[in-house]
This record gives sequence, structure tokens and C-alpha cells, in this order.
Amino acid sequence: MPPEQRSAADPSEPVPLGQRFFDNWLLLMVLGIVIMLLVFTGWGLWEITSLEPSPLP
Amino acid sequence: MTAPAKAGDFRTCPVTGLQIHRDAERLIRANAVAATVSLLIGGIAAVLVLLTRWQAVHLLPAHWFYRILTVHGMSMLIFFILFFEMGILYFTSAVLLNSRVAAPRTAWGAFWLMVGGALVVEWAMWTGRADVLFSSYVPLRAHPLYYLGIIIFAVGALVVTILFFATLVVAKRERTYHGSVPLITYGGATAAIISVITLGHGAGIYIPTFLWSLGLMEVDPQVYRMVWWALGHSSQQINVAAMVAVWYLLGALTVGAVVLNEKISRTAFVLYILFISMASAHHLLVDPGMGPAWKIVNTSYFMYMAVLASLIHGFTVPAGIELGQRLRGFGDGLFGWLRRAPWGDPGFSSLIFSIVVFGFVGGITGVTFGTEQINIIAHNTLRIPGHFHSTVVSGTAMAFMGLTYYVIPLIFRKQVAFYPLARIQPYLFAGGMLLFSMTMTFAGTFGVPRRHWDISFAQAPFDVQFNPAVDLLLGLMAVGGLLAAVGGAVYIVVTVWSVFFGRPLETRAGAAVGVPPGIGSPPRHLPDADRINEELHSPARGLWGPAPGTLSLAFVFLLAFVVYYFVNWKLLSFVWKVG
Amino acid sequence: METHTGMQSPKGVWWKRAHPTERMWVAIAFGWCMVLFAMMPLWHFKGGQNPAGVRYRVKPADYMRRTQEFIAAHKVGTDQGIPIVEPPAGSDIYLIGLSFAWHPILKLRQGTEYTLHLSSLDVNHGFSLYPMNINFQVVPGYDYGLRVTPTEAGDLRIVCNEFCGIGHHTMVGRVIVTDSAGREVAVADRAEITREVAP
Repeated sequence: MPPEQRSAADPSEPVPLGQRFFDNWLLLMVLGIVIMLLVFTGWGLWEITSLEPSPLP
Repeated sequence: MTAPAKAGDFRTCPVTGLQIHRDAERLIRANAVAATVSLLIGGIAAVLVLLTRWQAVHLLPAHWFYRILTVHGMSMLIFFILFFEMGILYFTSAVLLNSRVAAPRTAWGAFWLMVGGALVVEWAMWTGRADVLFSSYVPLRAHPLYYLGIIIFAVGALVVTILFFATLVVAKRERTYHGSVPLITYGGATAAIISVITLGHGAGIYIPTFLWSLGLMEVDPQVYRMVWWALGHSSQQINVAAMVAVWYLLGALTVGAVVLNEKISRTAFVLYILFISMASAHHLLVDPGMGPAWKIVNTSYFMYMAVLASLIHGFTVPAGIELGQRLRGFGDGLFGWLRRAPWGDPGFSSLIFSIVVFGFVGGITGVTFGTEQINIIAHNTLRIPGHFHSTVVSGTAMAFMGLTYYVIPLIFRKQVAFYPLARIQPYLFAGGMLLFSMTMTFAGTFGVPRRHWDISFAQAPFDVQFNPAVDLLLGLMAVGGLLAAVGGAVYIVVTVWSVFFGRPLETRAGAAVGVPPGIGSPPRHLPDADRINEELHSPARGLWGPAPGTLSLAFVFLLAFVVYYFVNWKLLSFVWKVG
Repeated sequence: METHTGMQSPKGVWWKRAHPTERMWVAIAFGWCMVLFAMMPLWHFKGGQNPAGVRYRVKPADYMRRTQEFIAAHKVGTDQGIPIVEPPAGSDIYLIGLSFAWHPILKLRQGTEYTLHLSSLDVNHGFSLYPMNINFQVVPGYDYGLRVTPTEAGDLRIVCNEFCGIGHHTMVGRVIVTDSAGREVAVADRAEITREVAP
């Protein structure tokens, strides 16, 4: 297996944007964190804190 | 970071050819041992809890029940699983990439932080200072050291996660691999990213709660639930990603499973990264704090995109196994690849049970109960632990156990002790857990509550007569649970004996002794595998494609899903109008 | 056609179209995901059971006062020290979860709509209406108002299914649903009150 893993990628084939995007773990991490913070945590906190105080008693 | 490693810091694996950094190996071993100790504690707690919920025995008194239930949840869902996953992170980064571990001294520091934190938490629980259950919902209050111990553990795990990425950077810079990382490493990276999301939210909730336990600030109960579950469920999504990575790994090791299409499999991992964590909302569907829009968007993993990811892996993993088998020449008929698979290899049997039970029982029930409205008839009933025992235990833990039978020879370089017993262990555990989860889930449909000491309600002012079927179901649940406990005990005995007293690897008359077949005779494709693969992919085969057996099973799965899902809508329609 | 396992780095460009079978499966799975997603908004607008409700933040002391007024206004009896309350149709009705009891006992009428308010005065509790298996989280500081319509008469129970402390398993409440004419229904398999001892 090591010899196969060490063979160089074909330099003449351009790497598609999709592959480059998927290979970018840092970007994916940032997106994952941001999406979670916006859609779940941020929106959730907004939901809770924007609840009206009850008219009771 | 430390200086680049010297040649003597590595050894070459005789089975896989990988260059294994000695620090990586030691760290994997340490985390595996810590995981197994946690599993033992959690497992003892499991049996005690089971023998209490089985009303015929009703072993523990009330306060001990709730206490041991806390121990069980924390030891299994956090300590066992995360220690094992740290090992997986080291394996998928340093080992699979032939690289050194970045900053080994920091890695060891992180390990000891995790051990220290875990010990403090266990002490707090066992001494009755944290009778708050795994979720510790504010305003239930535990001793401050309980929260502090968890924080310390989490810091250690976060450091290991950061070192995972640092190792990826080191490996790339030192050119220990070429092109993209292997798919299994990609799965590890997915788990690591979700881990960052998880632990970030964990800090966000445990630090204020720790301060609250000292009387230094207020914590709103609804905010607590929301942020805690962002830790609580996302930690289980780390498990899902790690489990899928282990599926691909076990497939490769046991039968030479191939990757059908990297783009498709990696897309599924990317969908996990982007959308899986928000489904923590399915714990909050019948909470007052949030509205329907938030609930629907979040519980759906964003329009079920992360469920799509699981449906993808649920196809590509078995299809890869099928294809690997066909390329080895075991491709007769629709299911010859399955019949002729190495069912005596505990790594393989664990793999298959993990996929099947996770998918059919765990996945289907999870998505169903996680539906905003159906949750009304499921929340806090036994359907919930029934569901998660089929995912985390029969899925993730099962896969991890199967992997251990390869870790023992590959990383610990020992024979698997009591190997004949090891071969049947997956059957005991999976069979027991299947019976356990299904009966528990079914009992939940009758309204039996979770986290409850006495469903005979002997001390309550009004009595509750559950359907007599419930007694039968709980009895069967006990049988299943005890069988699984035997399977778990076998696993612990086999692994502990192998690691500490096991015999070094040996061959006798050319055959490897006391190890799974994938070690002694690694799966090899036929010499003309590329041609066979070409044929399997040819358009002449029509839409059934290269993996017709898997496709048939996938359709059976989908049918089961559709039926179970709509049956539950029907069940919901019978109850009171609520809105 | 080359093959490789998940342990190996794929060579070169792997961003390639998948085989039609795989794409078909992804398309089918995607379609099912869209069905799953559509069901929730659909049921929200057309279905009879939703956790939507009327939701407020509330101070436990205020909620308790309101509930006491509610009890005083509509009390028709007691059962082991817990007041039985029979509210008018369509009204706001109040239930308190407090370790380890549910107050009051609600006497409702089949086929009639009420707005049931749920709140806790101390810790989280779980409202689990037995035997219909309707479950909601009862959170201190929050008033969860659900428009409910009982569908059949009976002598029901409220089981607490969220751990709330050492007496959690003794926390059982009662709801009486009369038939549409207002008569109590004695159904053989429903629980009768058998205990003399107060909680």
C-alpha cells in the first residue's frame, strides 16, 4: 500500500473546485460552526429571550 | 511543534505496510485502555440499573438507582465513547497518513487531563454529590466539582481534537501522503469538526453552570436545556461520524471493501459537518421556549440533509463490502457475497450487526421520534432510551468492539485471547441489544416513562395500571440486557487479558494464530479485479449496477422506514387534539 | 477500472460522477427526505396534534397565584387533599408541577376545548398523560399553553417522566374526563383511587 499512496497525483489534471472545497477542512469547520451558531444556538436564544412575559396573574 | 521524527520513531506494520509513529501507538493504547475501564464501570452500572427497572427484581433502592443511572450515562456516553474516539483520531491522522503525531507531550498532557477529569466526575457521582442524571438539568444541582471535572475532561478532548488537525497539517507539510487524505481519515476529520462544535457548546453551558453551582450567577432552565443538548446530542453525532469511519475501516480490513465513489461518500461526510449538530433540537420539540419554525428547521437536520448523508453511507458502506467481495471472486448470485463473507471474523460480524441495527432500528426510530409532532407521543418514554441503545450501543459501541479485535494485533501486537469466545461475542452482544432495544421501545409506546425507579407506582397517590404486556416486555428487555451484558463482559475479559497477559503474535505452519482472518490472510482481490470491476459497472447491468444485493436490501430498508414512519403518524392522530 | 479501500488516498482527481445506480439511490433518498420534511409543516397546518401553543415567560410566584385563583373559582371537590377543579368550556386552565405532585386535579369534558397551561414551580418535570401517551416538558419560569380537546372519557393519570428528585416516581396526578353530557365514566380498566395515604 505505501508505494501506491506515495505515487504523485497527475499534475496535468486540474483539481476541480468541489474537490478543493471538500479538502479544505478548516473552511468546512468554520461553516459547520457558523451554521450551528446561527440556526440552532443564536436563533434558539433569540426565541427564548423574545418570549413575552406572561400577563399573569 | 516538536522537531521532525527520526526513522527509529516509526515501525512498519507487517499487515498494512503503514508507518506507525511510536507515540501514536502508545497514545492509541492508552486511550483504548481508558475506554475499556470506562466501559467496565458503565457496564456494571448498566446491569444494576437493568435489575432495578426489571420490577420483578427491583434491586437498587431509589436514591441508588438514580445515582447509578447517572454513572451509567456519563461513563458510557462520555467517557467510554470519547476515549475510544481519541484513539480513532490518532489512528485516522498519524497512522493512516504515515505521519508523526504533532506535539506528543501535549497529547499526553491532554490524555491525563481527560483521565483526571473523569476520575473527579466518577468520585462526585459515586459519593452522591451528583444525583442529577447525565443531563443535569438546572435547577437540579450537583457539587461544583462534578461540573469542573467535566470541564477538565472536555478541555483535554478539545486539545486532542486540535492536535488531530495539527497532525493533518504536519503530515501534509512533511509529504507523508499524497493527494487527498483517505476516506477514513476524512471520516475522522468529520468527527473532529463535530467535536469542536460539541465541546464549544459544552464550555458554553458547563462553565456558567459550574459558576451557578457556586452561587455566582443565574442559569435559565430553558437556555440550559437548549445549549446542553447542543453538547449532549452533538457528542453522539461525533459517534456517528466515527462509527461510519470505522465501518469503512472494518470493511477494508475484513473483506477488502472498496470505495464506490469518493465524491458521494465525502459529500455525505460534508453534510454531516454542516447540518448534523442542529438536530439536537429533537430533545426540545415539546419544550415551551422555542417556536415551531425553529423546531422544524433544526430537528430536520436542515431539511433532512444529514439524514440524506446517513442514507448515503447506509448504501455505500455495504455496497463497498459487496463490491470488495465480488472482486475477491465471491460474487455468485444476489447474496453470495454475504453468504460467503467471513462471519467467523468478529470484526466482520460486528460490522454487519452495527450497520443493520443502527440503520433499521436506530435510524428509523430516531427520525420518526425526532419529528416535531410525533415526539408528543414519544418524549421521555422508554422509546427514547430504546432508540439510543440501538444507535450508540448496537451501532457505535458494536463497531468499536469489532475494531478492537483488529487493534489488539495491529497496535498492541498481541493475539486475541480466548479467540473462540471472541468470535461469538458480537453475536451475544448484538442479539442481546437487539432484543433489549426493541422491547424497550415497544414498552415506551405504552407510555412507560424513562428514568423512573418504580412503574408499579407503589408510593404514588394514584395508581397507574399499565397494559399487562408491559410486564412481559420489561422481562424480555431484562433477558436481552443480561445477554448483552454477558457479551460486554466477554469483550472486556478478552481485551484486558489480551492487552496485559496476551501472547505475542505468532504464526504456526504459515497461518496466523488467534487473530481475525484479516490479519493473517488479508483480503486480496483477484488479479483481474480491475476487469471484473469494469464489468460490474458496465451499462449492460442496467440500474441494478455493481451492488445489486445491497440495492435490494436498501429498498427493504426504505420500505420499513416508510411503514414505521406513517404508522406513527396514525398513532398520533388518535390522541387528544393538542396545539 | 481502479479500485481502492477507504484506507488509501484516492489518486489524483476523485471528483467524478458516480455510477447511475448510486445517483439513483441518492435521488430516491433525497425524495424521501423531502417527504419527511414536508410532513411537519403539513401537519402543523392540517393536523390535530402540534406542540405549538401559546408560550410565555412567567414568574413561578405569579403562576402559582393564578392557579390558586383558578382552583378557588372552579373547585368541586378534593381527592386526598388535592382540589378537583371543573372549569368552563373554552377557558384557560392551569396545572402546576411541583416536586412531587401535580395540582390541581382537572375535571374536563369530552369533546370540549380548553387552553391547558403547564408550568413548574421548582425544577423540570415531565407531563405524561396516561394512557393517551401525550408528553410535554414542564419548565420552571415558562408557561406552556396548549389548546387541548379530550377525545374520550375516562379517569386518567399524569405520570412525571422527567427526573425531578428523589420522589420523582411518586409524582402521579389525575385528570378526570367526563363524557359529553358531563357524566363521570367508570371504566373497568382505568385506575380507581385506592390509596388512603396522601403523597
